[in-house]
Amino acid sequence: MGKPIIAGAAAVFALVSLTLGAADPPGIKFEDLAAKAGIRVRHHTRQFKGATGDVLHMFTSGGAAASAGDYDNDGFDDLFVTNSDEGTESHLYHNNGNLTFTDVTAKAGVGGGNDPKSIVADALWFDYDNDGWRDLMLIRFGTPVLYHNEKNGTFKDVSSTSGLNRFANTIAAMAFDYDNDGRLDVLFGNYFKPMNLLDLPDPHVLPNDLDNAINGGGVTLWHNLGNGKFEDVTDKAGFGKHTGWTLDVGHGDFDNDGDQDVYLACDYGTDRYFVNNGNGTFTDMTEKALGGFDTKKGMNVEVGDYDNDGRLDVYVTNITDEYMKECNMLWHNNGDGTFTDLSRETGTCETLWGWAAKFGDYDNDGLLDLFVVNGLRSAGPDNYIPVLVEMITRPGVDFTDVRNWPKIGTMTWSGYQKKKFYRNIDGHVFKEMSAAAGVDNDKDGRGLAVADFDNDGRLDFVQSNADQEPFLYHNITTGAGHWIELKLVGSKSNRDAIGARATLKTADRTILREVDGGNGYAGQSTARLHFGLGVQTAVQSIEIRWPSGAVQRLTAPIDRVTTVREAASTNSR
Amino acid sequence: MKPAAARVLGAAGSAGLLILALGAALSVRAQSPAESDVAKLEAALTAAPNDLKAGNDYRMAVIASAHGDKNTAKYDHAIAVFEKLVAENPNMSNLHLNHGFAIVDKIPAAGTITQVILANSALGSFTKSIELKPTWIAYYTRGNSYLFWPRIFMRTKYGIADLEEAMKMQKADQKRSYHVRTYVSLGDGYWKMDDLAKATATWKEGLEQFPDSPALKDRLAKQGDDLQKLIDDSYDPSKRVDTSLQDLWANQ
Repeated sequence: MGKPIIAGAAAVFALVSLTLGAADPPGIKFEDLAAKAGIRVRHHTRQFKGATGDVLHMFTSGGAAASAGDYDNDGFDDLFVTNSDEGTESHLYHNNGNLTFTDVTAKAGVGGGNDPKSIVADALWFDYDNDGWRDLMLIRFGTPVLYHNEKNGTFKDVSSTSGLNRFANTIAAMAFDYDNDGRLDVLFGNYFKPMNLLDLPDPHVLPNDLDNAINGGGVTLWHNLGNGKFEDVTDKAGFGKHTGWTLDVGHGDFDNDGDQDVYLACDYGTDRYFVNNGNGTFTDMTEKALGGFDTKKGMNVEVGDYDNDGRLDVYVTNITDEYMKECNMLWHNNGDGTFTDLSRETGTCETLWGWAAKFGDYDNDGLLDLFVVNGLRSAGPDNYIPVLVEMITRPGVDFTDVRNWPKIGTMTWSGYQKKKFYRNIDGHVFKEMSAAAGVDNDKDGRGLAVADFDNDGRLDFVQSNADQEPFLYHNITTGAGHWIELKLVGSKSNRDAIGARATLKTADRTILREVDGGNGYAGQSTARLHFGLGVQTAVQSIEIRWPSGAVQRLTAPIDRVTTVREAASTNSR
Repeated sequence: MKPAAARVLGAAGSAGLLILALGAALSVRAQSPAESDVAKLEAALTAAPNDLKAGNDYRMAVIASAHGDKNTAKYDHAIAVFEKLVAENPNMSNLHLNHGFAIVDKIPAAGTITQVILANSALGSFTKSIELKPTWIAYYTRGNSYLFWPRIFMRTKYGIADLEEAMKMQKADQKRSYHVRTYVSLGDGYWKMDDLAKATATWKEGLEQFPDSPALKDRLAKQGDDLQKLIDDSYDPSKRVDTSLQDLWANQ
C-alpha cells in the first residue's frame, strides 16, 4: 500500500532451458536416486545411557534433517543432511549439477556437533551477515553451532562469538527478518525444557499432560545485531509465555501487512499463532485466529497458498492412526485474521503418524501439491501401544517421570507407514497418489528438502529418515507444465530475501509465493521461488514485494531460472 | 474386505455409549439450562445418589450447559460430583453407572490421549456397577463401551461377552424398544472380530424383532467398505454419543 515501485532491474540469466509440453494431464512420477547420487548414507539417532536411556531414545528419535541451499553460488542447490548419534558426522553434499553429489564435509569442516552433551537435530542455511554467501547453522539439543561461509568451500565455526549461548533442546529453527531491518533473525523451536537429557539431573522431564502440556521448551527468538552477534529477545518480542513442546516453527505474512507472522506446531497440546505487530513484538492470537486451543500433536508447519486466493495457508501434521484419530490441519486463511481447518474437506486429513509435509507444484500446473512423510518407529513384530496404554491409564501416574514410561525395546510404534502424496486437483480437493508417483515408501520419515536439484524446472525432494538412509526423489513427471523459478537477492532487504513475496500473473491465474527461511519439520527447501504455469507460455506480470517494503515489477522468461536483485535505490518504510 | 490397518476405529477408544436415541431426550439438550437449574439437579442427585433418573437428568443438564465440547470445566465438575458421591456411597450400582456416563460425557471434549484415560476410567465404573448389580443396562453399557476400543487393544471380545449377557437378559424379559440396541452392538462386535456371518445373523434376528430399526436395516444393506465406514462412524469417539437413559423409563 503506497509503497514505491521499482520497475525492471532484474538481472536475468538462464541456467537451463527445458520446455515441456503441457497439453495432457501430467502423470506425476519420481525415481529414487539417493544411491546413484551418492547421498545414501544412514542416519543414526542418539543412543542414551543408563536405565532411562531406552525411553529417552524413544522420545528423541528425530534428528534426521535435510536442508537444501546453494552454499557456493554455482546455481545448483546443495544439500546438508544431519546425523545425531554421538561421534557421527553430518554430511555436506556438493551438487555437481548432474544429479550426483560429492561429499565435501571434511573439506568444509561442518561434520561435527554430536558431542557427548549435544545432539544435532536440524540444520539451517541463511546468510546471517549479508555477504552474499549462505552460512550454516546446526540446531541442537544443546547450543547451536554457527558456521560462517568462508567463500572458498570451507566454513568457520563462529559460535563462540555469536552470542547464541543459551542451552535449549532445540528441534526446529527458522531464519526470518521479523523486524524488517535487513538482517536475518532466528527463531528456535524447543521441545523439552532446557535440561540436558544427556546428563539428566532430574527424571521429571517428560510432558506433564499428553494433550495439554505446558512444561516444554517453548521458543527462543534471537535478534541479529548485525555485527555477527545475536541477542535473545524472546520475552521482549512476546514469546516468553509460550511453554509448549514446540516441534516446528513456520512463518509467513498471513495478514498481508508486510511483516512476517509466526505459527508454532506443538506436540502434546495446542499450536500457537502469533501476529507480528510491526514494532518488533508479536501478539498471541491463537484463540481468535484458530477458533480455540487444540489438543493435538502438532509436528510440522508448512506455509503456502494452496488455493491461489492470494493468502497464505498453513498445513500442520498431527497423528491419525489406528489408536488415535486427530486429523491434520489445513488452515485455510479466511483473510480476516481467522483460519478454518479444511483438511477433511480437501482430503488431506489422515497421514498416520505425520512428520514433515511440503507443498510444491510438482507437475507445474499452477497448484501446490503436497507430500507428507510419516512413521515413528519400524522395528519388531510387537506393538508398543498396548504397553504404553497400560501405563497411561494407570491411576495417578506421573507422566513427567521418565522412569514411569515402559521401555520400547524392539517393539514397533506406528511404523512401516506408507507416505502420502497429494495432487492438488483444483485448489480445493487433493487426490492421494503416492503409489502411482513412486514415493509410497514405508521408512520412518522425518524431514523434507524440496529443490530443483537439476534445474530442469521440476521440483525434486530429499526425504530424511530416522535411523535409515534418505531418499532423493528425482522428478521425472512427463507432461509437466511450463515454469519459472526466481532467485531473489536482497540489497536493502536481507540478501536471502527471506520474507519476500512474488505475485505472478498469467492469463488464467495469479500465483503467490514467499521465500521462507526453513518452514517444515527437519528440513529446509530451496530459497528459489518456483511457479508452475501449466499451458501458459508467457507471464503477464511479476510483482516482488521485498521485506524492505519496496515493490518491484518485472517480467521473466518461461522455463528459466531468473535472478532478481532488489534495486539498490529502493525507498523503504 | 477390511484389512486390519484400515480399520481405524478412532481414538484410543471412547467408552461411548448409547442408549436412548431416537430423539426423545434431545429436548433437554436443545436449550442451555441456567446455572441454577443445573445446581438444582445436582442437589437432587445428591439427595438421591442411586436414582438413575436423577443422575441422568443432571448429566444431561451439564452437557447442555457446556455448550458443546470446549468447556471441559463443566464436565470436570460433574465428574467430581459423582466421585464424591461414590466415595460416600460405594455400594450404589446406579450411581457407579452414572459416574461412568459422566466420564464418557467428557470424552468428545478431550484430547485423544485423555480420551483413552477417560474411556478406561469409565469402564472401571461400569464394572463396579455390574459387580454390585448385574443389570441389562450395565452389561449393555460396558459391552458397547468395549467396542469403541481399537482392535489393537483386543477388548472387543470382552464387549461381545457383555453384550451376549445382555442379550440373554433381554430374551428372558419382556420385549422393550431399546433392546434393539443389543442386536446392533452385538452384531457390530462380531463384525469387528471378522465374523461377518455371525454379525449378519445377529442383525437379521434383530430385524425380525424390530423391523423398523434403521440401524439394522443400514447394516444389512451395506457391504465391504460401505459397511466398514458405517461401523467406524458409529464408534467415532470424536462424535458425541447420546448417553441419555430416558428410554429406560419411557418404555417401562
